[in-house]
Amino acid sequence: MHPEHAPRYLAVAAVTGFIFGAGLFIAQMTNPLVVLRFLDFGALPSGGWDPSLGFVIAGAIVVMAIGVRIAARRSRPFFERQFYLPEWTEIDRPLILGGVLFGVGWGMSGICPGPAITLIGFMPENLWIFLGMMFVGSFIGHHVLIAMSGGKAPAPAE
Amino acid sequence: MDDFSVWPPLIGGLMIGLASATLWIANGRIAGISGLFGQLLPPTGTVWWRLIFLAAMILGGLAAASAVPALFSGFQPQAPHLVGSPLWIAAAGLLVGLGTKIGNGCTSGHGVCGIARLSKRSFANVAIFFAVAIATVAVTGVV
Repeated sequence: MHPEHAPRYLAVAAVTGFIFGAGLFIAQMTNPLVVLRFLDFGALPSGGWDPSLGFVIAGAIVVMAIGVRIAARRSRPFFERQFYLPEWTEIDRPLILGGVLFGVGWGMSGICPGPAITLIGFMPENLWIFLGMMFVGSFIGHHVLIAMSGGKAPAPAE
Repeated sequence: MDDFSVWPPLIGGLMIGLASATLWIANGRIAGISGLFGQLLPPTGTVWWRLIFLAAMILGGLAAASAVPALFSGFQPQAPHLVGSPLWIAAAGLLVGLGTKIGNGCTSGHGVCGIARLSKRSFANVAIFFAVAIATVAVTGVV
């Protein structure tokens, strides 16, 4: 059996997905206004700036950095044959273009992919429009990426 | 921000880090949500764990919503709603899907996992999308 179909592998996916979604809600990253008020540096003088996102991302990075160090002592993960690292290492045009496009969409909505998925449980009005278009964008982006990379197959996600 | 409490965002962030670190150490996978989502499309051979992770995220959010008011006194999360007109939301969703696919990552994959791995690609991508998002809000305002 391939490791990805083992019950323990799928159980890890379930438990970590659950903790991830709960963390997003507790941090209120599921509320687009909390994200937008972090990005709104113009509100600093008036005291309307919301630092939440900064604490979320700092806390997450610290724990993940510890995880990266623990994993570095191992030749392979517990339940998989290898660590799946992105194959690309250079700062290239797709990376920059992607950052710009995502930045505009994120600044317009206050929603990035994690909260977009977690919000399905709350089904706020018009969420399906966002999700549907995000899927369309991902589909188009797949082909843009292949075209920009000269026909190379895309790497696993970073 | 008179009623701002550091604990919910900090604890939420630590949970996101714990989930990402566990997925990495146990399964060798980066918890990048745009990648998980985008790679549900063919061609791909590993759909099940991605679907399970995404479904569990939804359940985790719902479970937290019912548990959290008891855990943090005075923490009253508002019912989330999307800002802007349907056309605005459609454009934003399209750009998020396009940008995270072309840039090969989002706030979780590049922002958390990539930075924690000290990936120079992730540092560049995160600096760009944060700067552009801040500029976008400066132009459009909090709609």
